[in-house]
Amino acid sequence: MQRSKAAAGVEVKRVIGALCRLLAALGLDPVPAPEAFRRAKFGGRPEGDPFWQLLSSILHMSGIISSETSSQLRGELRKLVAAGLWQSGYHADWIYGADAGSFCSRDLLLALGWLLAKGVLETLLAGRVEQLDQTLLSSAPEKPEFSADLELDAASLRRLQWLMGHLRHRGRTLLSTIGARTRALHEVLSSSQVCSAAPSAGRSSAALTEDCFSLQQLCELLDAYVSWKQVEKVFWTWMDSVADRRLCDLRDRTSSQGVSHSLGACHQGKQRLEEMLRGPAQQQDVKSGDADWAVASLPPSLSSRLSAPSVHQMCRARLQAEQRLRRPSEGPHGGAAAPGELPAPQAAQLLLQAETELLQRRDRRRLANRKQLQGLMGSLDQQVFIAL
Amino acid sequence: MSVVTVQLGQCGNQVGQELFDVISSDAQDGQRKTYSSVSRERFFRQTSQGDFEARAVLVDMEPKVINHSMNRAAKSGRWRYAEASHFSQKQGSGNNWANGFRVLGPRHRDAVEELVRREVEHCDVLAGFIPMMSVAGGTGSGVGTFVTQCLRDVYPSSFVLNHLTWPYGTGEVIVQNYNSVLTLAHLYQLSDALLVHENDAVHRICSQQLNLKQISFGDLNRVIAHQLAGVLQPALTPDSCGAYSGNPLGELVSALACHPEYKLLSACSIPQMASASIAFSTFSWPALLKHLRQMLIANTKMEEGIDWQVRPPPASAGRTSSLTAGGFNASLANLLILRGKDVYSAETGGFEDPAIYTSWLPPAEALSLWKSPVPFDKYEKSATLVSNSQALLRPLDDMVRKAWNMFASRAYIHQYVKFGISEEDFLDSFTSLEQVISSYAQLQC
Repeated sequence: MQRSKAAAGVEVKRVIGALCRLLAALGLDPVPAPEAFRRAKFGGRPEGDPFWQLLSSILHMSGIISSETSSQLRGELRKLVAAGLWQSGYHADWIYGADAGSFCSRDLLLALGWLLAKGVLETLLAGRVEQLDQTLLSSAPEKPEFSADLELDAASLRRLQWLMGHLRHRGRTLLSTIGARTRALHEVLSSSQVCSAAPSAGRSSAALTEDCFSLQQLCELLDAYVSWKQVEKVFWTWMDSVADRRLCDLRDRTSSQGVSHSLGACHQGKQRLEEMLRGPAQQQDVKSGDADWAVASLPPSLSSRLSAPSVHQMCRARLQAEQRLRRPSEGPHGGAAAPGELPAPQAAQLLLQAETELLQRRDRRRLANRKQLQGLMGSLDQQVFIAL
Repeated sequence: MSVVTVQLGQCGNQVGQELFDVISSDAQDGQRKTYSSVSRERFFRQTSQGDFEARAVLVDMEPKVINHSMNRAAKSGRWRYAEASHFSQKQGSGNNWANGFRVLGPRHRDAVEELVRREVEHCDVLAGFIPMMSVAGGTGSGVGTFVTQCLRDVYPSSFVLNHLTWPYGTGEVIVQNYNSVLTLAHLYQLSDALLVHENDAVHRICSQQLNLKQISFGDLNRVIAHQLAGVLQPALTPDSCGAYSGNPLGELVSALACHPEYKLLSACSIPQMASASIAFSTFSWPALLKHLRQMLIANTKMEEGIDWQVRPPPASAGRTSSLTAGGFNASLANLLILRGKDVYSAETGGFEDPAIYTSWLPPAEALSLWKSPVPFDKYEKSATLVSNSQALLRPLDDMVRKAWNMFASRAYIHQYVKFGISEEDFLDSFTSLEQVISSYAQLQC
């Protein structure tokens, strides 16, 4: 188990490395190291994070934020990134400046995932290829501008046809001129063959070297893109786990807030715990029936509604049994306490213990489910899912 | 850059021989080294013995005219045709376009293409082809159209300028209008431009301008050759940056025939006179150009009898139909070639008048100027105008109308059907020429 987990970690690191290589080949600078991705998954202070820079340059290069916006917001990286993400359709609390307390570099990682899922890589790739490959004619003309007074009448059409013909004739003239030059060059070279003019001519040509360099870059870029495409799946699984972790953190936070608030009223706390229990309880249920594995991916709110009462009742009964066991020893201190109630500190401790235990159990279940799901997906690779 | 001439049929072989003759004598003068060498490079190649051989391929279905032309060339002592550059058969094509296009052309395709290929291989750089032929005859028009099609296929990026000789309106051959319709309709798709000389107009030049009494085809051909050489001899063009133009055909076509519906070019030159009177004449650029401009707008091919009443219509007034008699001749594009003394001081403003051009092409694009300080063909100063204008609208309209009248009664159609040209082919040709006529008629709108 440990070994496979480590292997998976290495695999993820390799995949993220491929992504980093592709981002660097796309001309983005600086690109965070794969290790930074891993650290970001577990949260961290967002200030001075390399992801700020990465996000802003992606948003800039893919044209999501215009150069005017970026010049206006110079120096305010956070605002710039927030504006760009908002324009790309990404919404999160931290973008609006709210929820500053829980904001960490994981949110930036998720935002990066959003941009990648939106196909920003392909946009950047197309732009970069056009830039590097000089033999390509630009596929999209530079904003064809028609003057407002252009009339699309017969006369303009005829003039256009004339100009087209003129252009075509010029092209043919140019072709024959090039032919003449080639012929002359060939004569010069073949008459001076002894001094082997060709390689030195090639070396001295700065333009040729430049072309060669950009072609090399192009090859590297396309290579990086292909290798990224091959392992992309793994990355998205990992990104999924990042998203899960964030959700998980959010829930942790709300639950811990709940506990601190209800320390005085254990009954309330217990109820909350019961609510919390329903999620894992559901997963417990799933364990028995393999066919029902899909339910695990339901959002927690929905699965809580589907929770099976039997397990819930069982856990509750055990909790109460524990409570009863402890009661005699606590008798002298808490004699006034009503039956079924515990003193606050003990209750809190108990609840926290139970919570950690349950959370651990839930995480293990989730991992097992995920693996099961991946196995199933792998075996169904040939099939196409059609949503009905 | 070199030009390969393909002489087709009786007419093409005669005009071609005259053209090479004019060019070789014009280029002979030792004083003008660059001009001569450019001209020779363009039209001749030098053999190892130092003789000049024309870059030409001669094709006819009868050997008589080819032999005659070759003998005349050899007799000139300045140049000759290469020994193996001609192709001839024993039997003619009987003035039947279909026979030439469908039977004789395909049958001898390989032989003719081989001759052309060899001639092209002799060129350092090929600028293009000038197939020369009559529009009405059998071999010239039928085989010529087929050969033009082959050139287009084999050399798709080269320029092809067809030189056509238009028959007398009164008729040499009964089916000349059929042949002309078929030739023009096909060449309009194949060629880059069609430079046309009308026998009628040239005949008038011979009789009234040159004062010849017994006018032979040789006289007509000399006038045509003089005008053609005036166009094709080296000149300084706007693109050539102070040197003689490298690609005369390309620049000619770019200047005049960029629109696929307008490819009919006509030429006229000034002065033209009997060689005996040249010595006693003086010329001035303003007078020459004034006359030439009036010749253009009144559509007269010679100085004699210009109608000075014709004026370009004022821009505001609605223009009348172009087919009205004695009307003003609207131009699409003009190429003015000036040769001779003080050529750089010549004032060409008269040709930059927007009123003489169609409304959709500004004069700056419609007028091109070529100049050469070298006097041409004995004239101290001379000007040649190649015009893409309505000049040929009336003869074309007449010809199509006559052919249509014959076609309506299905006269002689069976002779064409026999060789694989169906009535549908005729109808297609009529349709495309009607389109050309309508396009040119609209130039004045």
